Amino acid sequence: MIEKIGCYIGLILDPQKIILSLISLSISFFTLLLLKKTGVSTKLKISLIYAHLTSLVFPFVLFGTHVGCGIACMPCYNNVLSLVSYALPTTLFISTISSFFVVPSLYIITNKKRIIKSGHLYRFIKKYSEKMKISEPKIYVIDKAEPIAFSFRTFKSAIFLSVGVLDILKDREIECVALHELSHLKEKSSITKISLSMLKLFSPFSLISGFNIDSTDEEKKADNFVLKEQKTKKYLILTKKRFQQFKCYKK
Amino acid sequence: MVNINKIRLNKIGLELFLSPLESDVIGILFGKKEAKVREIHNILKRKKKVALTSVAVILDRLYKKDLVKRKVENGRGGIHYIYSTSESKINIEKSIIESSINKLIDVFGSSAVNYFDERFSKRGDKK
Repeated sequence: MIEKIGCYIGLILDPQKIILSLISLSISFFTLLLLKKTGVSTKLKISLIYAHLTSLVFPFVLFGTHVGCGIACMPCYNNVLSLVSYALPTTLFISTISSFFVVPSLYIITNKKRIIKSGHLYRFIKKYSEKMKISEPKIYVIDKAEPIAFSFRTFKSAIFLSVGVLDILKDREIECVALHELSHLKEKSSITKISLSMLKLFSPFSLISGFNIDSTDEEKKADNFVLKEQKTKKYLILTKKRFQQFKCYKK
Repeated sequence: MVNINKIRLNKIGLELFLSPLESDVIGILFGKKEAKVREIHNILKRKKKVALTSVAVILDRLYKKDLVKRKVENGRGGIHYIYSTSESKINIEKSIIESSINKLIDVFGSSAVNYFDERFSKRGDKK
């Protein structure tokens, strides 16, 4: 019994495990500092976000694995290498599954929505996804009056629009929103946004430092794509104005 | 029961409890059985200069106050909200009165109850 209690508190007492946890937390902090730098490419941003989250979760998984090994009376509780070989893949597995499957699925499950499978918007998005050579995204309409538009590209691409968008925008303006989101899907910037929301949800470091990634570049790219396709600024300006107006009036 | 936050004692009618635009919008909805944001905006803009977005915000606000209900409809023009009043005009008025009196009782407790008791017993005596 005493030996078992010893196993459980071993993580706190064992300098090797403490050093491992500290290294992991330092990596987590360092990656966050790197993320704050401007001019980081999208791919690097995503990698840094997951490196941050993985290194942040790792000490907890290490502790969990240690307790698990102790309960199961496996020899790994006093073998650091063996512990790491269990904890590291588990951490990577948790980070990947939660970001690419759990969070998007939770969003889809928890929101009242409808799928658009016909009509002008459906045909428009189908036509453009073929033109842009990206997989045709599912179009979800979420039950909210506030104009909201975003996209996911994980296992399957999806564009989310609120009923508010369809209520306050005219056809050409809705096309403008669709083109903007299609551009995000093409540029994979939606993954950055999901990753960023994961970071804000799970990383206390990001809360402490008031962390915010500058996504202006991605937004500019998407807007430029809209301008290129619509050959006029008019609808983009009107769309932005209506989104802004809603926010202002709401206050 | 409706959610009332403000009472404007210098106003009359529904404007006593709602903003001028809110009472205009709900007035249109009392006249029509149900309507889309755009339809309400088309009627309202004949009377005053108002943006479509403002009408959408007002309808959302009325929905949150439980004064109107809405459903998502997939019609010929695509997916839209269809708004209608949650109750008849009389029931909404009753609900506003109930909500206001409950608030007064919450704030002033027994003083409010005693006041209403005295006030209504006096009316009873007069009759």
